[in-house]
Amino acid sequence: PTGPGGVAVPRAGLKKLALPPDYSGITIPEKPKLKFMDKVPAVPKVRREPRGLRDIRGPSEVATDFTQGQYGILALGGGYLHWGHFEMIRLTIGRSIDPKSMFAVWRVPAPYKSVTRKSLGHRMGGGKGPIDHYVTAVKSGRLVVEVGGRCEFGEVRPFLARVAQKLPFPAIPVSRESLQEMRREEEEKRLNNQNPWTFERVVASNMLGMRKYLSPYDLRLKGRYWGKFFLQHRV
Amino acid sequence: AVAAKMAALGGGGTGWLRAWLPALQLLRRGSKAVTRHWKAMHFQRQKLLAVTEYLPPRPAAPPRCLPRPATSGHEEDGYARVLRRQVEETLRSSRMVAVCQYNSMPDEDVVTLRHYLRKHNIHVKFVLNEVVRPVLAQSKYRNLLPLFVCRNILLVSPETRAREMLRVLKGVPQVNLLGACIDDTILSRQGVENFAQLPSLEVSQGQTVAALSLLPSQTSSLLQRGPTHLTALLDEHIRRLRGTGGATEPPPG
Repeated sequence: PTGPGGVAVPRAGLKKLALPPDYSGITIPEKPKLKFMDKVPAVPKVRREPRGLRDIRGPSEVATDFTQGQYGILALGGGYLHWGHFEMIRLTIGRSIDPKSMFAVWRVPAPYKSVTRKSLGHRMGGGKGPIDHYVTAVKSGRLVVEVGGRCEFGEVRPFLARVAQKLPFPAIPVSRESLQEMRREEEEKRLNNQNPWTFERVVASNMLGMRKYLSPYDLRLKGRYWGKFFLQHRV
Repeated sequence: AVAAKMAALGGGGTGWLRAWLPALQLLRRGSKAVTRHWKAMHFQRQKLLAVTEYLPPRPAAPPRCLPRPATSGHEEDGYARVLRRQVEETLRSSRMVAVCQYNSMPDEDVVTLRHYLRKHNIHVKFVLNEVVRPVLAQSKYRNLLPLFVCRNILLVSPETRAREMLRVLKGVPQVNLLGACIDDTILSRQGVENFAQLPSLEVSQGQTVAALSLLPSQTSSLLQRGPTHLTALLDEHIRRLRGTGGATEPPPG
């Protein structure tokens, strides 16, 4: 850039030294790595349970906020996690964190729900199949794992993103600040929506008899969820 | 669909006229509510979702047509404050401040330059424009601001020895004198050269004293001029009288 008299003004100025991050309040627990999760619960189920897909549908009430860690993986859709997923998460995160300065914590229980499978190639009928494996149900908006310690989001994000991609539902790595930011943006969108017609308004007052084509659950889900999917673009 | 069925059940208390299995009827339409695949939506539902989409607010003037808000004041850097205080100190304590343009020199040459200038009690200071400019703007050196544009150094000294400074700088082609402020007088490059050719302070003081004391020194000779003239005339007269014969007695007096 040229200054007065056509002289070149150098752009480099005084170096602004940033203070290093303050990790004073962070204690690393005794077992920083992720616990091993069993394939089958200690007391295996005798009674075969129905499919009950309502544990996938809708937003999660549990494990939506951070407890111990600063960064985590947020599920943006519903799904079942089985032992293979747990092992993948445990090994990838165990490989990527430094146990002396970082720790990770599970936010989902070990597989508890039994899933039955009939043997391949048989016709319908003959009763319910035997228990094949166990799974954990995850609803959208739930944290799967939490990572914390003396680290920045930029260091943690790459391997969390790799783990999140391999999960059976869409997921993203988040930090406390980014989650807050996401929620704030959602709220802002909801408030400054210029459209006078919102899904919940139409459903609540049954305008044009729309409830004939919608489920009673849509009163609660307000058009943001469809099956196990979470429609993030909808307000 | 559900509401209609519920209404039908409530209405027809006595009428199980048709064999009606509510379980099958309710699940007439395809798969369950939660599926692994993306379940096809009823067209009415699709229309409802299309109608109730998010519309972002549209201000009357789009933000890129409005003037950009001036960046809020950057937070004060402690280091910059320290540097600024140092510069203020040096400006206050020095009589001569010379601003020179600095092109990159090898380090050993810089050290040699510093050494030579230090012999004449001239200190070399590297200053950053962004630190110096606010300091100058507030002090009395406002008119030096245009000089602080590119890479520059300050030569400060508590005594004004311009001749030695110019001699040293002549031998260094990478440092060019832009201007100086000597004893609260702003001088350009030419001005500094002229200033250097002036005799030093002591010499000029001596000259002033001599010029002033010239007349008083002549007072005694002026006063004595009358009697000396008379004495000279009388001596001449005596000589002439002596020369012509010497018979007549010299007159008394």
